[in-house]
Amino acid sequence: MLKTFKHHTHSINKITVARISLFACMALASLWFSGCMPGTGEPSVPAVVTPSLHPSGSITVWSWNIAAKSLMRLIPGFNKLYPDVKVNVDMTGAQMQTRLMLSLACGVGAPQVSQLQLTDAPHYIDTGRLADLTPVAAQLRNSFPDYLWENCEKNGHVYAIPWDTGPCAVFYKRDIFQKYGIDPKKIDTWEDYIQAGEEILRKSGGKTKMLPLGLDSLENMYLIILQQVRGQIFDEQGRIAINSKASQEALAIIKEMRKAGICSDVQMFSQEFMAGINDNSIATYPSAVWLAGTIRATTKDFGLGKSRWGVFRLPAVTKGGLHVANFGGSVLVIPAQCNNKAAAWAFIKYALCSRKGQADQYRNFDLFPAYLPAQKMPQVTEQDKFFGGERVGVLFARDISKISKLNITPDWAEASTYIEEALSDWAANGMHSRNFFGKLEIRMQRRLGDPISPQSLRYSENNG
Amino acid sequence: MKNDTESQWRRDIIKYRHFYLFISPFFILFAAFSLYPVLFSLFLSFMKWNGLTQWKWVGLGNFTSMLYDDILWRSLWNTLIIGLLYIPPMMILAFIFAQVLNAEWLKLRAFYRAALFLPCVTPMVVIAIVFSLIFSSEKGVLNYAIMGVGHMLPFLHLKPIPWLESESWSKTSVAILVVWRWTGYNMIIMLAGLQGIPMEYYEAAMVDGAGVWERVKSVTMPLMRPTFAFCGLLSLLGTVYMFDEIFVLTNGGPGVSSMNFGLYLFNLSFTDFKFGYASCVAYTVAVAVFFITLAGLRITRQREEAK
Repeated sequence: MLKTFKHHTHSINKITVARISLFACMALASLWFSGCMPGTGEPSVPAVVTPSLHPSGSITVWSWNIAAKSLMRLIPGFNKLYPDVKVNVDMTGAQMQTRLMLSLACGVGAPQVSQLQLTDAPHYIDTGRLADLTPVAAQLRNSFPDYLWENCEKNGHVYAIPWDTGPCAVFYKRDIFQKYGIDPKKIDTWEDYIQAGEEILRKSGGKTKMLPLGLDSLENMYLIILQQVRGQIFDEQGRIAINSKASQEALAIIKEMRKAGICSDVQMFSQEFMAGINDNSIATYPSAVWLAGTIRATTKDFGLGKSRWGVFRLPAVTKGGLHVANFGGSVLVIPAQCNNKAAAWAFIKYALCSRKGQADQYRNFDLFPAYLPAQKMPQVTEQDKFFGGERVGVLFARDISKISKLNITPDWAEASTYIEEALSDWAANGMHSRNFFGKLEIRMQRRLGDPISPQSLRYSENNG
Repeated sequence: MKNDTESQWRRDIIKYRHFYLFISPFFILFAAFSLYPVLFSLFLSFMKWNGLTQWKWVGLGNFTSMLYDDILWRSLWNTLIIGLLYIPPMMILAFIFAQVLNAEWLKLRAFYRAALFLPCVTPMVVIAIVFSLIFSSEKGVLNYAIMGVGHMLPFLHLKPIPWLESESWSKTSVAILVVWRWTGYNMIIMLAGLQGIPMEYYEAAMVDGAGVWERVKSVTMPLMRPTFAFCGLLSLLGTVYMFDEIFVLTNGGPGVSSMNFGLYLFNLSFTDFKFGYASCVAYTVAVAVFFITLAGLRITRQREEAK
């Protein structure tokens, strides 16, 4: 009896071992067949794009919203030059960048061309899964502003082409300004802007706020002003440089705005934000050029021949300071796994590196051309009826080369979460600015693992 | 002897090969989609890996990083607060609805049950659009109602509530949406629990002179305790891993004031692509939830035994 029991136990153990082995084999087999043995191989070497005189075949482009519509409109013109290339623009934008990253990780499923936010480009370039565009794009270096191009490069190689850029200005409602006697030409600094906002608020009986600035928009405003005082989140070496005088200046201006009560506490693109475009609850929208597309699409009464919108330059931090900053912008990339790089490059070159392609995109969809020669095209420099005949394109292009480049690192998205959270918390809890950036830089250092820049106020204060 | 055993084992496998074949689909799918991810995540917990480049052994580095991750702790705190805000009212409402819909005098019971269950199967995108209209601070229905009450009762000094714009109200907004969405689901479970209570117990209680409240207190509540525990357990897990409600309504904002653990984990994995650290965080929290659940069940059992 005992012998039988032992024999049985032994068999069970064997069977258990066999089952575990079977599971392990299946798991390994499933990995083998799916071709996803991640992390065990060497990092892939990006493929290099070489030009072709007669590209052919079909390409798929991933893009979102109006950017995708803009590309779609370019296809007929592109096909006149390249009749053998069929372009399919896929504008299913939901979590598009995440899907692209997963496709890059798996080695299959990525499109031939993809759009990325400018701020996300370094993160994707860092993966080593994008095609090296240097042989075809290096000579275009001087056709794009430094602040865009430098975030498209790594180790002297080009991996992305800037598409649109987001020079900032202030969109304002002429009728409100006229009604309350505000002259936009006299708004030179943020201090002037806040004073004008206070006057509008007072004269409207508190009904009209100067700008939308909800908790989720504080980071955007901070980054805009930070560029005006040439501040940085990271220094050239990728070290955390947020604790600076420039940051403090930017925060002080935001604090003044909120203290003055001129900010409408609405989220960007929320119901109130959009409603404010048509009603009198918000007088101005300090933002990037691409917001013009949203304003045009949302404004109801323009069809009646009425134009209430105007644009004035971004207020400077101090008199004689910079009136420019960049907010947003995107790039196009070719994944290394793309099987038709010649056609993909031909499309990118037509859309982004030709004067007509870029200028048409501005006229049709307010995508301001990153390609500098296109900024002189009539589509950009002409009078804009919607803005009362102003040459809005010229206003946005002015001093664009002076825009200060933000050093974007692969950690940017995570750093951005920390900045957004800290600013929101700061605004919601009394706006106590003492050592705000000192604490933030420590938190960022702990989480991102990046060192603190020697330029940090931490060191100068300690030395002093 | 050993050879005999092995040959017997092989003979058994060959003899029963058809049965092994029949049960193999489950094991293959289980291995590929459950066992492998679970083991792989455990492995990744000790690695630094972004999904694309070579992984790097960091030992317990990911675990020590968690101590300094303010946003993780904030998201866990938010998870707790959201849970406390929505679980009690949801359970109470679900129980009340279940009681009412279990009443024999009620007409159109099937209709009401379906109506209350409907939010649970409504696509989240639709819900998000409707609720963003409801919660809109200046144009929203909810604030319209509040201001209406404010006009009627001016001494209350009611003001519009910034439901989605304020750090202090964003969690409440999420909780309201979750109560609306999941009350029907819990009601169905409680209804099944109520229908499992034999009518004889109520009849006996009535013979003993028990009123409605006495019957609920002394018959329904004790017998419903396992159902409450089950609903509570589901809600606990649902709170920790809740994702779509928050993703579409607030996306964790303003700041990270409504970011719960599920959304935090998603962002860590699919926005920041920190798969190693995300696995480490997921494992740690899963183990913590497992022990909390175990402790809860043990306490419940001990109370039962004490009675």
